[in-house]
Amino acid sequence: MAEQHTMLSLRGLTRRFGGLTAVDAIDLDLAKGELVSIIGPNGAGKTTLFNLVTGLDRPDAGQVSFEGQDITGFSPERLAGQGIARTFQLGRVFGNLSVMDNVLIGAHTRLRAVKPAVPVIGPLLELGLALLRPSSVRDEEARLREEVKTILARFGERLLPRIDQPAYSLSYANRRRVEIARALALRPRLLLLDEPTAGMNPTETAEMQALVAELKAEGLTILLIEHKLEMVMRLSDRVIVMDEGKKIAEGPGEQVRVDPKVIEAYLGHGLSGTAEQESAA
Amino acid sequence: MSSWLDYTINGLIVGNVYALVAVGLALIFGVSRLINFAQGSIYLVGAYIGWVAVVQLHTPLPLTIIVVAVAAALVGLIIERFGLRPLQNSVRIAPLLATIGISFVLDQLVMLTFSPNPRALPSQLPDVRFQVGGGTIGPLDLLIAGVGLTSALLLFVFLRYSKLGWAVRAASQDRDAAMQMGVDVNRVNQAVFGIAAALGGVSGMLVGMYYNQIDTAMSLQATLKGVVAEVVGGAGNVPGAVIGSLLLGLVESYGVAVFGTSYRNLFAFLLLVVVLVLRPNGLFASARQAPPEPLTGTFIAPSRPVPIPRWALLAAAAIFAILPLFPVSFYVLQTLINAWLLGMLALSLTLVAGTIGQVSLGHAALLAIGAYTSALLSLTFSAPVGLAIIGGGLMSAALGTALISPSFRLRGHYVSIATLAIGEIVSLVILNWESVTRGPIGISGIPPLSLFGYELISPTSIYWFSFVVMVTLALLQGRLLSSHLGRSFRAIRDDDIAARAYGLSLNRYKSLAFIFGGFAAGISGGIAAHLYSYINHETFNTQQSILALTVVILGGLGNVVGAIVGAVALVGLPEMFRIAAEYRILIYGIVLLLLVRFRPQGLLGTM
Amino acid sequence: MTTNAPEPLLALSNVNTFYGQAQVHFDLSITVARGHIVCLLGGNASGKSTTMKIILGLVKPRSGEVMFDGASLIGLTTPQIVRRGISSVPEARRLFADMSVRENILMGAFVRNDRDAVAQDLDKMLTLFPKLGQRLSQRAGSLSGGEQQMVAMARALMSRPRMIVMDEPTMGLSPLYVDRVLELIRTINQEDVSVFMVEQNASLALEIAHEAYVLQTGKIVLSGPARTLKDDPRVRDAYLGGSEAA
Repeated sequence: MAEQHTMLSLRGLTRRFGGLTAVDAIDLDLAKGELVSIIGPNGAGKTTLFNLVTGLDRPDAGQVSFEGQDITGFSPERLAGQGIARTFQLGRVFGNLSVMDNVLIGAHTRLRAVKPAVPVIGPLLELGLALLRPSSVRDEEARLREEVKTILARFGERLLPRIDQPAYSLSYANRRRVEIARALALRPRLLLLDEPTAGMNPTETAEMQALVAELKAEGLTILLIEHKLEMVMRLSDRVIVMDEGKKIAEGPGEQVRVDPKVIEAYLGHGLSGTAEQESAA
Repeated sequence: MSSWLDYTINGLIVGNVYALVAVGLALIFGVSRLINFAQGSIYLVGAYIGWVAVVQLHTPLPLTIIVVAVAAALVGLIIERFGLRPLQNSVRIAPLLATIGISFVLDQLVMLTFSPNPRALPSQLPDVRFQVGGGTIGPLDLLIAGVGLTSALLLFVFLRYSKLGWAVRAASQDRDAAMQMGVDVNRVNQAVFGIAAALGGVSGMLVGMYYNQIDTAMSLQATLKGVVAEVVGGAGNVPGAVIGSLLLGLVESYGVAVFGTSYRNLFAFLLLVVVLVLRPNGLFASARQAPPEPLTGTFIAPSRPVPIPRWALLAAAAIFAILPLFPVSFYVLQTLINAWLLGMLALSLTLVAGTIGQVSLGHAALLAIGAYTSALLSLTFSAPVGLAIIGGGLMSAALGTALISPSFRLRGHYVSIATLAIGEIVSLVILNWESVTRGPIGISGIPPLSLFGYELISPTSIYWFSFVVMVTLALLQGRLLSSHLGRSFRAIRDDDIAARAYGLSLNRYKSLAFIFGGFAAGISGGIAAHLYSYINHETFNTQQSILALTVVILGGLGNVVGAIVGAVALVGLPEMFRIAAEYRILIYGIVLLLLVRFRPQGLLGTM
Repeated sequence: MTTNAPEPLLALSNVNTFYGQAQVHFDLSITVARGHIVCLLGGNASGKSTTMKIILGLVKPRSGEVMFDGASLIGLTTPQIVRRGISSVPEARRLFADMSVRENILMGAFVRNDRDAVAQDLDKMLTLFPKLGQRLSQRAGSLSGGEQQMVAMARALMSRPRMIVMDEPTMGLSPLYVDRVLELIRTINQEDVSVFMVEQNASLALEIAHEAYVLQTGKIVLSGPARTLKDDPRVRDAYLGGSEAA
């Protein structure tokens, strides 16, 4: 029965680029409803790991399974259909699309009325339905548009007033929010967040932290890459530390935080004193 | 046996010529990540400068070569300085479009200066052949081989031992890092364009001498062959370009030996498509490279479409609808009919190039498929013309999409090359598939337009017919863009990786865009076939593809109203000012250049 | 502190930078004193690397001034700036992968025309980075990350710069090489080359720097002598911490 509770499981996952092993034999299990953070210095292989899990890159060795099914080498579009959503570290919104359209793309895998699951002629039916737009298609679209507004409302007044603006005109922080809104529109069963607070000031970071906490409370399974340790410590059930592609530590935040290996790799030797002081305090 | 040796020698000699073009393309691609579509025009210019030198100035051969190299290099420097340098900070597609515009301008200038008639370019060498094994070699073969080897040697020495050569290599590996070493990238670009142009110009002259004939059609052919050789060898890879060129020369030569001359180009383009599909980084690149850096929203200039009120659109449509009721000349109606036909093609292209970001340079092939299908349906099966045209649209949608589908996995400039090649392949298949297409003779006696048994002969009825068809297609396309497909297409254009991560299958949506666009283009081609009553494999050529692209950029990529406005402007204005036909293509080239430079979002803005 | 403040070699004042409509720098002011090591700390997307690009002329600020040795750098191209005496160790090394190690190092001297002195300096680099001696004819792309960092540093020194700017010089290096790199930065600095480095790894940077600035969403939130910042918990909070820096 324990199998059922494991959402994501990585075994010996490895990816090499030329002489560099970006991801080196990583094992990881993520239970349903769990929030696990991956920390580590820049260049440690965290984003490459995300790419391997979401199908944007293929591993040279190892296995990825999602809810007990081997999904190694699946295409990203197929994985999206299975309920895996992610955000990108550098922010990959669709620049010329409005905020509304960006988030609607997130709901693409949930389109049913306009995308009948018919083999071979399915795409042609989709074209026909998009042009004819029977009431079922119109209703679905209207429903999704309402839902997008609900999702955007989670960000307060940050995005709603800009709903029709093209994404290229948004601030950096707002683009990150659009990415997260887009991921939520997929109604993910597994959400991968790649540094959601990069480029955010403390107030914005606190807002984002509250939102991620909310998502966790709603039962969403989340894998988080984050540098802001305060946030990692508050949110995570477990923390995984990567360095040079390897997992060098794993455990509850408080334990990882005082692990000398971690301090050495991530914080550097100098700050170790401060870190210890703080954890003692 | 002896003939095989001859074919091998011929293949290597032709390969040498291709190498002179391809090496220049590879150098430019290395430094600028740009496929220079004007390379063939420089080759053309080189051939004509050679003609002036040999025939009019009677220069000796060594001097001829120097004159051509220097003059062509100058042209290259001018292109770099005034055509491309101002676009350094533009969107990725801008320099590519600029080289297309430059190539049209140069070709037309040559044509206007020297007339389109072919000219003889004597080789200035004694006409003797030496027996080598079972085959023969002439002095010109040796000259070409000699020029090829000397150029390769000079280039090697330049890249390996000169300071500027080091700068070229450094810049082609990492442009930003080279700048941080103090390398002036503008100087590197100059050097590269100068060298590429000199090699291209000399190559054009040698080919002119080889066949003792030069004409303006050489330009596009040279660009295409150079690009094929370069891509086969791996874009930006100089030694790869040489090997790719020799390989291309041999493949063509053996292909000609087995199947005949008219198959030469077919082999070249099939080779290109096969390489692009199987090994898009060329034969010598390592198969797996690090995933590309994210490029977000850099493909088209961010802009918002110019808002046009609905009443204005309705008013414009009403005016054009009732126009024939007024005493307008036959000439005006004829011009507008051409505009409506071009408008349909532009609608198609603005969808695939603008909305989903596949800049197709072979769009005229979709016209050809529609035209041939409709013509053959009505002639062979006596199908009613209205149905035949719809058949043409459907065939263009189906066959066009199937043919273009190998390019769906490509990005950016590679899509343009692949579609250009696929367009050429369609034209060559039409030429060679005589049992169906009647080959070079073409199809004549195509029945005139008719609808429900009534022939549409009067200009007024043809005007209304084409106008209604175009407006219907435009309305359908508008509806498509406002559906979930519109946003899906645009999402794929803006960032295909993020789109895939959200479940959008690139093959599925690119196919749907080409199916819809192919239908519109096929309808346009079908109507044209019945209007012209005669078509052949050259009726729908690359010039038309480029004209359509200019229309689309003029109107604003992806912009439906813009496509129609662009078509009316580019067909109508030259007519209005009674500009002679030979100047029109020149004007289209200049318009394209000005747009790319000063208003990349077009008149009505991209969508 | 008691150090008599030397005159500034590099000074950014009130720099505002935009990418499209998004503002990256807000009135950024940074000074690098002659002969000092100054580090700029901050998290990802805080605007650190853009600061380096501003100094090198790869990105143009919308407003503000960048002075180097008493003259403005605004409006100069990157090669012109390099000729003024600034060289760089870019993020992720950015070696010319298909050129040999020797060619890479010599590319650093691209702006120089004194061949003999360049040859001497190459020998000097080989004493400073002895490991590179055996690697000279090897493709730079085939070296390990640490070796590549050595090449990048040798390359930057070859122009005889008055200042080197470095973008995350320790990123992705094993701890052994991290120490080596820091040692080398000190050595370089002792030869009267000023250093401006962008770092994420605060503790390492603060060990060798004279002054430091902490950048957060394009604003300097903390600055001062490195030895005081080293024990200041606000440093880490400012860019690693989640909540408001105290």
